[in-house]
Amino acid sequence: MMSADNTDTVYEVLSPWSEADPIPLQGLSPRVDGLAGKKIGLLCNNKRAAPVILDVAERLLKEKYPTAETSYFHARTFSVSSLELDRKDEFDDWLKGLDAVIASVGD
Amino acid sequence: MYDAIYIEKAGKPTVTFAFEHFLNDAMSAASSKGMPVVRVVPETIVSESTVVADIEKAITAVFDDAVAALTKPLTVEEKSPKPREQENPPRIVFKGSLEDVNRFFYQRGWTDGLPIIPPTEAAVAEMLTGTDLPADHVVVELEPRRGKATVEKIAINAVMAGCLPTYMPLLIAGVECLSDNPVSGMMAASTGSFSPFWLINGPIAKDINARATYGATSPGDIANATIGRALGLLTKNMRGIRKQIEDMGVLGNPGKYSWVAAENEEYSPFESQHVERGLNKEDSAITLTFPQSFQQMMPFGTDAKGLLATVIGSIVPARMGQFILLLTPTNARSCADAGWTKKAIKDYIVKNAVVPEDYFERLGIDGSRAFDRGTGSGPGGTRDIFRPSQRDPDPVQVFVYGGFGSWMGFAQGGPPPVTRKVELPKDWTKLVAKYKNIVPNYFRY
Repeated sequence: MMSADNTDTVYEVLSPWSEADPIPLQGLSPRVDGLAGKKIGLLCNNKRAAPVILDVAERLLKEKYPTAETSYFHARTFSVSSLELDRKDEFDDWLKGLDAVIASVGD
Repeated sequence: MYDAIYIEKAGKPTVTFAFEHFLNDAMSAASSKGMPVVRVVPETIVSESTVVADIEKAITAVFDDAVAALTKPLTVEEKSPKPREQENPPRIVFKGSLEDVNRFFYQRGWTDGLPIIPPTEAAVAEMLTGTDLPADHVVVELEPRRGKATVEKIAINAVMAGCLPTYMPLLIAGVECLSDNPVSGMMAASTGSFSPFWLINGPIAKDINARATYGATSPGDIANATIGRALGLLTKNMRGIRKQIEDMGVLGNPGKYSWVAAENEEYSPFESQHVERGLNKEDSAITLTFPQSFQQMMPFGTDAKGLLATVIGSIVPARMGQFILLLTPTNARSCADAGWTKKAIKDYIVKNAVVPEDYFERLGIDGSRAFDRGTGSGPGGTRDIFRPSQRDPDPVQVFVYGGFGSWMGFAQGGPPPVTRKVELPKDWTKLVAKYKNIVPNYFRY
């Protein structure tokens, strides 16, 4: 294909990379001043390593911060917020009662 | 990562544990949702691990990092990320010889590793004759990068792949399929190496010589080879899903080069896939599925009983997602002659694909949980391998293609199919006449 005949031909080529409009960027939420006495959400998706990871994290959390409370949310998919629209209210209600969240995606 | 971003936007500080090899993927996902700086704690747990001791050790090693991610004050950039500027690339992105162009595109990560046809203004203009839509028309924006799938960008990638202009209607409909399926971006990026498998139906298949018969999914036909290739290039160059950056497929999948067949409607005794999905027989359509595996079996017998027994005997419990039975016209005819409809075949597979009673006990495996987390099917509490669910009410499909022979196959994995009707340009007949005779002419030796 790349014969000597082609080496003299100059190709002016267009970019295949599509443009994407910049989207509004948002910063992170303020952090908490410590985990003692806080309610920490444990969010796992449906990958099988996720709950095991969070079980370990929960145990370590309670060892280090005995007054911290925990609350689990088990997604049925990779992403509860984008794929489980029927659980949006349930998810939002769960978040309202929390000070911070530890998430595991199992990957 | 989408959930972490959602939670941060809801005002709650979040930290996510992620395998250390997935940091690029995590950051691309976060960036695409408008939060370019998220707090991720890299750990050493490989995807899908079930080794509890490894998980225990890995999380213990980084737990203090997770605490710090929730408590350490934010940096200026984390509080208020710098806005991105509008991309304004030059129209002509490169000038050079064929070899130089190929090297440039490859090094920019815009190809699949195979040589490309240079997308010059002239070549792209010719490609655009395959549609009546204006070049700047945005067909969709493709997640996760939200790249604009303009008609021109589709044409540019089509030129690179070696497509003919008559494939443009299918490519546009294919892009719409990719957008219709909310999880197709995840499929393309998944560790499971899911590959798009495109099925073409209707008159367009013959118009463009898309192969439906012998070796339909083997190399050798421009349509089958380049339509899937172009849509694969679009996945990189519009969606922004690139190997080992966002596409974290572990084993990979040769189907990602191009996996395309036309259904063999001429010899199939069954209603075709697009008719089953609500379109008219005269319509042209493209159907997207995302299997991760492809298997071929020699049937126990070529009558309906032997064929269906082979299907059931070949389905193993360690599987997930859709099941697509691939029948040659011969096999489909055997089933139809014995009174089997497509629906009856599907129902038979759903009903009879069960885990043998002592299977997990013999292997020493806990079979108490559903294995297929996508559809909820799998062993779980019952022995049924397929469980129609709200998310996947029709977990078995039947595609008929290939030559006349006894081998049968199946493709497995992924979400339910998505089908799109193909819209043809006004001067379609003229366009077909121009390109239809481009076919291989094999000589005898």
